[in-house]
Amino acid sequence: MRHLIKTLLLCIGSMLLLSGCMEKEKFVVYGATTQGKDVEIIVKDADYVERATVIQFEDSMLVAVQIKPWRKWQKAKLEKKLQKQLDKKYPKQEILVSADYKIFYEANKIKKEQLENTKLNERLTKLKELAKEQT
Amino acid sequence: MEKEQYQKLEQYVTPKPPYLKNVAKAFVVGGLICLIGQAVSLFYMVFFNFTEATVGNPTVATMVFFSMILTGIGLYKRIGQFAGAGSAVPVTGFGNAVISAAIEHRSEGFVLGVGSNLFKLAGSVVLFGVVSAFFVALIKYILVTLGVVSW
Repeated sequence: MRHLIKTLLLCIGSMLLLSGCMEKEKFVVYGATTQGKDVEIIVKDADYVERATVIQFEDSMLVAVQIKPWRKWQKAKLEKKLQKQLDKKYPKQEILVSADYKIFYEANKIKKEQLENTKLNERLTKLKELAKEQT
Repeated sequence: MEKEQYQKLEQYVTPKPPYLKNVAKAFVVGGLICLIGQAVSLFYMVFFNFTEATVGNPTVATMVFFSMILTGIGLYKRIGQFAGAGSAVPVTGFGNAVISAAIEHRSEGFVLGVGSNLFKLAGSVVLFGVVSAFFVALIKYILVTLGVVSW
């Protein structure tokens, strides 16, 4: 019994370690648009961003980021910083930057399901409302 | 035997509490409880419409509910014996305090026993929580009006 537990723990531990090493797509841009590359460059340039998913639809953009663990203390501040940066770069677009895990998860789901047009628009507006919710 | 003598003897006889061991136990068990809490909040974020900002309330409620059930079964007592502060400091300790007082006074009836003693231990948590929240908010409000920090 003891031996079994030990091997099991070893297996789980090594699996966790190995899955941590796997290369994930860290910067994703979804949606047809012209400035896709530019956004990626800006987001990649920010050294506090670990992973990012950008969803674009017509003139609205959702930038969902995950901030590096130790910099999460300044999450709200960094979020605002990135928002300002992007607002300056694209004054005509309606941009929302969020470092919330829920928004990031949903953004990845949109990408995975390959949503388009009305459905995508609906989901985006819903997410933007959700991001503004407080307690 | 003189009083001083007795005190010396008492100090000599009482075994030294294993502080380091206790701290390590509390650290591990408290950390495990927080891990479960994290899993619960992740669950709420993935399957329901909660964001990181709003997920706190349902998570706290669920954790308190878990610890209440564990107290009722009698398992939380064992965890508390093993981990000490590690099981009392997280919110789960609040649920434990409420239910253990209710169980203790069950024999005195529902109104005068359970009803009036339910918050005997947990009441101070509620009171000081509210009072300290008020003062923290007051300090933050003053700092914001002075322009030192932003909301």
